Amino acid sequence: MDSYDAPQLTPRQSASSRPENYFIGATPLQKRLESVRKQTPFVLTPPRRKIPQCSQLQEDVDPQKVAFLLHKQWTLYSLTPLYKFSYTHLKEYSRLLSAFIVSEKQKGLAVEVGEDFNIKVIFSPLLGMKGTQKDSEAFLVQILSKSQLPSENREGKVLWTGWFCCIFGDSLLETVSEDFTCLPLFLANGAESNTAIIGTWFQKTFDCYFSPLAINAFNLSWMAAMWTACKMDHYMATTEFLWSVPCSPQSLDISYAIHPEDAKALWDSVHKTPGEVTQEEVDLFMDCLYSHFHRHFKIHLSATRLVRVSTSVASAHTDGRIKILCPKYLIGVLAYLTELAIFQIE
Amino acid sequence: MDETIAEFIKRTILKIPMTEMTTILKAWDFLSENQLQTVNFRQRKESVVQHLVELCEENNASLNDAALLDIICEDVDLFDMKQFKSSFKKVLQRALKNVTVSFRDAEENAVWIRIAWGTQYTKPNQYRPTYVVYYSQTPYAFTSLSTLKSNIPLLGQALTIASKHHEIVKMDLRSRYLDSLKAIVFKQYNQNFETHNSTTPLQERSLGLHVNMDSRIIHENAMEKERVQRVTQETFGDHPQPQLEFAQYKLETKFRNGSILAEREEPLRCLIKFSSPHLLEALKSLAPAGIADAPLSPLLTCIPNKKMNYFKIRDK
Repeated sequence: MDSYDAPQLTPRQSASSRPENYFIGATPLQKRLESVRKQTPFVLTPPRRKIPQCSQLQEDVDPQKVAFLLHKQWTLYSLTPLYKFSYTHLKEYSRLLSAFIVSEKQKGLAVEVGEDFNIKVIFSPLLGMKGTQKDSEAFLVQILSKSQLPSENREGKVLWTGWFCCIFGDSLLETVSEDFTCLPLFLANGAESNTAIIGTWFQKTFDCYFSPLAINAFNLSWMAAMWTACKMDHYMATTEFLWSVPCSPQSLDISYAIHPEDAKALWDSVHKTPGEVTQEEVDLFMDCLYSHFHRHFKIHLSATRLVRVSTSVASAHTDGRIKILCPKYLIGVLAYLTELAIFQIE
Repeated sequence: MDETIAEFIKRTILKIPMTEMTTILKAWDFLSENQLQTVNFRQRKESVVQHLVELCEENNASLNDAALLDIICEDVDLFDMKQFKSSFKKVLQRALKNVTVSFRDAEENAVWIRIAWGTQYTKPNQYRPTYVVYYSQTPYAFTSLSTLKSNIPLLGQALTIASKHHEIVKMDLRSRYLDSLKAIVFKQYNQNFETHNSTTPLQERSLGLHVNMDSRIIHENAMEKERVQRVTQETFGDHPQPQLEFAQYKLETKFRNGSILAEREEPLRCLIKFSSPHLLEALKSLAPAGIADAPLSPLLTCIPNKKMNYFKIRDK
């Protein structure tokens, strides 16, 4: 594998520069951090977010890698900054992690029947997977089964993938020293046992901490609104919401699917601020869905728990599971998730 | 023989299908072997009937004899299980050649049928059979359709022909519990409600007020809570609900909320699915829990009455 040149880490920004300059509409988190740092009183302003656009930087990402990342179910975690992580040592990390996995499995700590110990670990960089140049470079960790036959594809089958990234993570970057690498968003696909082993190694090696990232109903509503706001040439999937009703003794699930064109029409009728999504618009959009439902069924969906939202852009589950469907808005989706991850770390 | 009796016998015999004519006449045992042999059953039906009525006159049929003939006709009309099974099997075998059909008689005039499907060229697949339960005294059959879509029309045809009905219609009612479907379709769930006769006043029963309660504590909205309980009980009854797992509504209705989408002519296309281990019990608990208004929407409460759990709703 070719050696990887470490990106130039830009020097720490002085306190006087404001992160808001880098994109329209600072997130509430950034505003909070600013006010805490400067010890000014914090005023709660209605949050607004930019509607995801196709990022310039995303043009650089290897389309094959993007195809690999789409249409997969990822489990989300937030990750605290990694201490003394170096992009020049990826090969060494591969070797160490391989050895660790094999030893853990031989210890019988994670037993899967019929498991083949012939595995290898690969760390590979994901160039271009970032929001601004300041974001740390994203990378993938993959566990592959070593193929027995030399004639087959050398790489073997991918058993597990972990994906570390940071999209518009400026606020976190500001708070840590140079020894730390900020990659607050971690996504895993594959057996839970493998995730646990990889997590343990990273925690031991880089003194960091993984924490499962749940997505509450408030954020799911935002995601639904933002992704409905995205301009699509054609729709691949219906727009769908899933609510869980807290009634006893039996549980009740309500699934509400709406034709994506109709969802867009509803959104367009609600949307006032060009290029941005506001809290008011999200609330109104959801209220419209609630009222249409109530008119027919006399049930107040607002009294139940929103558990899953699904659109042609992506789908997200409250347990912290995500599936990204549209390559154009990959960065946009990750940006929101990074924000949630950073919020959890703080 | 009285003219009225002659007329009655003529009309009774006319009702008998030609295929069953000899069977019935033999069962009646009023006309002798010899007499029956003189009848040419290949003639036009009117001629056969005419001849038979003349023979009855010869034997001087009484009203009693005519009545007996009538009863026998009714009896034969009643369901012949053997015939059903053989007819059902024949229809399938003629169409497919390779098909395994097995029967098991069950309670309440029910017959369980198992069908393993093959094709003209392949053996029947025993691992994906279709099960049908047919209640012979009713116009209902329940099927588990784990089978190719192409076999469904043939199954319908076999059931229709064998049971001597005119057509078969698929109902929009599905569940994993055969007993629940039966309860809804045969309206068995209401029996408890009709005989139930409670003497305890509604208030005490449903609100569970304790006798020793501090009189200074007032239930806010006690009136409203009571109303909700009453309305819920009126809608659902006191008895346990039949067990259904889901209900599905395909909506094509216009959005109506003030100025939003006011100019839009087209309706919103929605698909709503309710799922629960016990849907009706869950729906029943919504209004008392404050999650729904009481009375609940008729779209939901009509499920047992309409015997449907798949709906298409459009603006009128």
